[in-house]
Amino acid sequence: MITRTNTFSPGAKFIETQGKVTARLTEKYGQDRKVELDKLEEPIIWAKNPADAKLLLKSFMIDPHLKVDYLSDVTAYDNEDKEDGDKRFVLVYNVTSIELHTRIRIKTLIDIDQEAMTISDVFKAANWLEREVFDMYGIKFQGHPNLRRIMMDERFTGFPLRKEYPIKRREPFSNNIPFHLGANPLKVDTHVTENGDKK
Amino acid sequence: MSKDGSSFFFPTLLSDAVKWAQKNSLWPMTFGTSCCGIEMMSTISSTYDLARFGAEVVRFSPRQADMLIVAGTITTKMAPVLRTIYDQMLEPKWVIAMGACSSSGGIFDTYSVLQGIDEIMPVDVYVPGCPPIPEGLIHAVMHLQNKIDNRIERMPAERPTPEDAMNAMTYRKDLYQIKADFTITPEYVKEQEAKREQKV
Repeated sequence: MITRTNTFSPGAKFIETQGKVTARLTEKYGQDRKVELDKLEEPIIWAKNPADAKLLLKSFMIDPHLKVDYLSDVTAYDNEDKEDGDKRFVLVYNVTSIELHTRIRIKTLIDIDQEAMTISDVFKAANWLEREVFDMYGIKFQGHPNLRRIMMDERFTGFPLRKEYPIKRREPFSNNIPFHLGANPLKVDTHVTENGDKK
Repeated sequence: MSKDGSSFFFPTLLSDAVKWAQKNSLWPMTFGTSCCGIEMMSTISSTYDLARFGAEVVRFSPRQADMLIVAGTITTKMAPVLRTIYDQMLEPKWVIAMGACSSSGGIFDTYSVLQGIDEIMPVDVYVPGCPPIPEGLIHAVMHLQNKIDNRIERMPAERPTPEDAMNAMTYRKDLYQIKADFTITPEYVKEQEAKREQKV
């Protein structure tokens, strides 16, 4: 069991609940999963796969000791140097319990051609957040109601936050896709690769 | 007027009167997308009061505006919108690129930002600064008035046609290769002059 004190705000009230949450995580869910603490002593739990991450999220909501009721963020990062595992990306769910004032981070490794499970049926807020992850990293979400680009132009084909994407490269849009002003959005073929070729 | 009152002529050119009218009633269409927009609002409102220079009524319809003030970062996703607004404005029309971002892309030399709005439309006055102070925008408007008055020559701009703008927005590779290693040589100048003569 991990027990440490918060060095950044030692007198804070939430340390006690935070410690309880960490203890609960390691006790109940950390049997075959890795539980870490970050610099703010907030727990990170590594799910075995994306489906497991969704399962964890659902059980955290039911769990009376965790009381997770708020999704802060869904994001990802590029694990190109394989520092955190042998797969390409790490998908991160930041969840909060408003009642207990504690945060939990669920991380899971995901490969470049692997599909994650959508959690937009659990949290409606995940809809746009998952669209952003798809836009920036190209991670597809199974069962997502509207998986289109959200930030980049819909004619864009690359995934700009992948490490191999040169920061200054502006995308040569293929000329056969007409431009539009957003009234009738184009349907994005999610199977377009970075070069614009269809699989 | 002659003695019997039969004829009448203006002692001046009508075109001068038109210029005078145009330069003193520059109705701005504002397009503020980031912090430059705040400075632009400050310029328009009471402390700096752009209305003193004839830019009286801010029109949020491009069809009623004479001058487009582009204040802020223009992303590639916003570029078609901006070009459409420019196309909707009636002639005569003038464009002020306010701030570093709309002039040259500014610090945002990235995959998603237009490197200056002159890729998609002709620009009359560039205002440097990040963001420019309101006096800078006022100076730009006064400079534009001088331009309209022909006291400062308005260079025959290489007006990007809608097709050119489309190419800038679609980033065709061939267009960009020309721009990437672009150097002005005597041959290039001659070439451009020849092209201009052909157009005339």
